[in-house]
Amino acid sequence: MLFETGGFQLMDKPDPARNVKTTTQKVSLSREERQKQLEFQKEAVVHLNSLYNYALHLTMNPSDAEDLVQETYLKAYRFFNSFERGTNCKAWLFKILKNNYINRFRKNSKEPGKVDYDLIKDFYHSIKDVQNDTSEDESDYFHSLLHEEVYQALHSLPEEFREVIQLCDIEGFTYEEIANMVESPIGTVRSRLYRGRKLLREQLEGYAKKYGFNTDKDQ
Amino acid sequence: MNCQKARVLMSAAVDFELSLKEEQGFLLHLSECKECQDEFDEAKKTKMIIKEKIVQFKAPQSLIDSIMELTSVSVH
Repeated sequence: MLFETGGFQLMDKPDPARNVKTTTQKVSLSREERQKQLEFQKEAVVHLNSLYNYALHLTMNPSDAEDLVQETYLKAYRFFNSFERGTNCKAWLFKILKNNYINRFRKNSKEPGKVDYDLIKDFYHSIKDVQNDTSEDESDYFHSLLHEEVYQALHSLPEEFREVIQLCDIEGFTYEEIANMVESPIGTVRSRLYRGRKLLREQLEGYAKKYGFNTDKDQ
Repeated sequence: MNCQKARVLMSAAVDFELSLKEEQGFLLHLSECKECQDEFDEAKKTKMIIKEKIVQFKAPQSLIDSIMELTSVSVH
């Protein structure tokens, strides 16, 4: 790892005097670097869309999300040697992104648990390529729920619940991976998902009532 | 299994995260308890709504380009 980092720094700050003497070494370092790039692209860059969406969920701001993703990839690339091969690279990247987010944004963010509905609305409308891809001919009220409403309901949940729902239902991580990411036991992940989904359900029923749908159990 | 235990296992059942033994006990309880069966159905539905309704955005091209650039640092 030290060797690789050294190579990376050497390329960042080329030392002309050294370059002359170490041509052979430089070529082999480059090849190694090239190998690393290819592997990084195959393992890490493929998750770019997922990371961007996760960053959007956290920051609610496209430009902050871009910064966050960029920073994450920079860090991930620099420390790629410490990524444990064979484990889930997406989970590793998510954890880096989350840590970056905490360090960078959360310190001066709004008070936790407070939902700014206008912000969500603005956010949703600021990203215009939202496609209406669901069929509208279903009578089930769930199908009449708008993307924006589900998003609002999700964001009205306390962060600890929202986070596990995102990681599980949107990103498809296993409980073990989630437990590792949120640094809590699997039992806690289970119960947060249970309670989070229940809370979410209550929120969504609020919308259903607004539309005049009957949400009784036997419907 | 009682309702309390079934609720502890509920989310893991939705996400296919139960061990075989847990699953057997859970399903047996559901067959005897309509309330838990209903709650299980609701939880599955809620998961489906999230999966279907939360839109995944495509990362902007500028971001894709800058990440690609980052990982193809000039080695010449």
